[in-house]
Amino acid sequence: MASILQATFVCVFLAVFAPHFSLAESCIGASFNSKTYTTTDGALSTETVFLVEFQLSCKNKISNIFLNAEVDGKQIPVSRSGDNKYQVSWTAEHKKAPSGTYSVCIYDEEGFSALRKALRTGEESKVKPLITVPVDHPGVSKGPWVSTEIIATGIAGLVWYAAFATKKSIQS
Amino acid sequence: MAGGKKLTKEEELLLQDFSRNVSTKSSALFYGNAFIVSAIPTWLFWRIHQVDLFQSQSIVMFVIMTLISSWLVAFAYKNVKFVLKHKVAPKREDAVTKEVMKKLSDADSKKMSRKEKDERILWKKNEVADYEATTFSIFYNNALFLLLVLFMSFFALKSQDPNINYILSVALSAGLLALLSTGQK
Amino acid sequence: MKAALFIAFACLVALSSAQDGAKLLASKTLLNQWLVEGRDMTVLYTIYNVGSSAASQVVLNDESFAESDFAVVSGQLKVQWDRISPASNVTHAVILQPLKNGFYNVTHATVTYVPSEGSEARTAYTSAPGKAGVVAVKDYDRRFSPHYMDWAAFAVMTIAPIGIPFLLWFRSKSKYEALSFKTKKH
Repeated sequence: MASILQATFVCVFLAVFAPHFSLAESCIGASFNSKTYTTTDGALSTETVFLVEFQLSCKNKISNIFLNAEVDGKQIPVSRSGDNKYQVSWTAEHKKAPSGTYSVCIYDEEGFSALRKALRTGEESKVKPLITVPVDHPGVSKGPWVSTEIIATGIAGLVWYAAFATKKSIQS
Repeated sequence: MAGGKKLTKEEELLLQDFSRNVSTKSSALFYGNAFIVSAIPTWLFWRIHQVDLFQSQSIVMFVIMTLISSWLVAFAYKNVKFVLKHKVAPKREDAVTKEVMKKLSDADSKKMSRKEKDERILWKKNEVADYEATTFSIFYNNALFLLLVLFMSFFALKSQDPNINYILSVALSAGLLALLSTGQK
Repeated sequence: MKAALFIAFACLVALSSAQDGAKLLASKTLLNQWLVEGRDMTVLYTIYNVGSSAASQVVLNDESFAESDFAVVSGQLKVQWDRISPASNVTHAVILQPLKNGFYNVTHATVTYVPSEGSEARTAYTSAPGKAGVVAVKDYDRRFSPHYMDWAAFAVMTIAPIGIPFLLWFRSKSKYEALSFKTKKH
């Protein structure tokens, strides 16, 4: 009795969740809207954060697929929030995150496993990403090298020194 | 050319040369300049040290400290000017003599006695030395005062509460300026 | 930072009882040197799967930031991953802005997941960053802002009291030194 119940449960479970695990469905004619954020204030944060939020739409109306991202050889699972809304985020040291445009390649499961296989065997990957999201990173500013008050006091010091030297020569 | 007039001029010369007293005109110049330079730290503390300027307490504090500082800075101006005037005067002797002689027309030159010419040179020399000592003293003390205020407020007293920082920075800078001005002979 | 993470990780490992299936450990950290009122603050979540199989239906939900105190700039406070493979980790970042200065107790977020196919969902908690002091913008500016415009204005103000007496003195000095030089030449 218990085993029958268990079997039914598994069947129901699979029936309910199978679409989520299905590899067969793939997104055709993908397009996206994206919103990106990168850290710019280096004095405030300890690491540079890259954050990409995007909304994916497929022509064949499939939704909420499991995606993976690849940036600079790093593989990142994509998180999902709500319908077709996804987020990729990663961090890097300030020094290792120079300014420029980063391309975030988004792969569906099929594409991602093909990419990993290609990487394992060391071949040049021929897999095309589903979409590529550009991320413009203006770079982090650490503020001025020397603080403005040091510069101001330095200039004041020089002016005073010049005045002092002149005064000495007048008094001599 | 009356004898009486000559005496007063000489008296005036003696007075100007040997006392620390300054005329009302240059005194006003000193206090005016001292007030301007003493008010500048208010800007630094309002904008950069973020002292709330529009609080009645702050306004009173800024006004009182600016006035105290003006008095001390003016005191320093006078002292430094006095010391410098004596050093500048002999250096300008040649040039002033030349200038005065050039200005006198031949007729005037013949009419004037040797003594009168010397007197005129002496008077002009005194004026030039006074002018140079005054302007240099204001320049020198302003530069030193601002340097001291910057150093005190951004380095020595950086960690203090901004209000205390302001009072101490301005008081110490102006005080030190006044003290240094008395030390030079 | 790395050491702290490792210790937190080790503690969580020690606490977790040996169970089959996926086992998720999660940390929540603030990547900020300073938390400043009205300035960006980064919250980083890292979820490790230390179990033997993939976790599915992983939902990270953070309800510790009250809307009245924090505004979301970028990122989502509730996200999900369909799958996290064993011996791997995922990271998630959210950018917030504290709206007021003062002390906040930043508590944990929750992670719910299905450890193995067919089993019931499990709930785990991330580490909690704990007390976080948010500095007022005024205090932060006093210490760190370069104040370029204010310093420029200061420079302009000081030009008159230093430059004018210097120029007057210099003109007089040049004039009489030139005269004196000519005299000596004669």
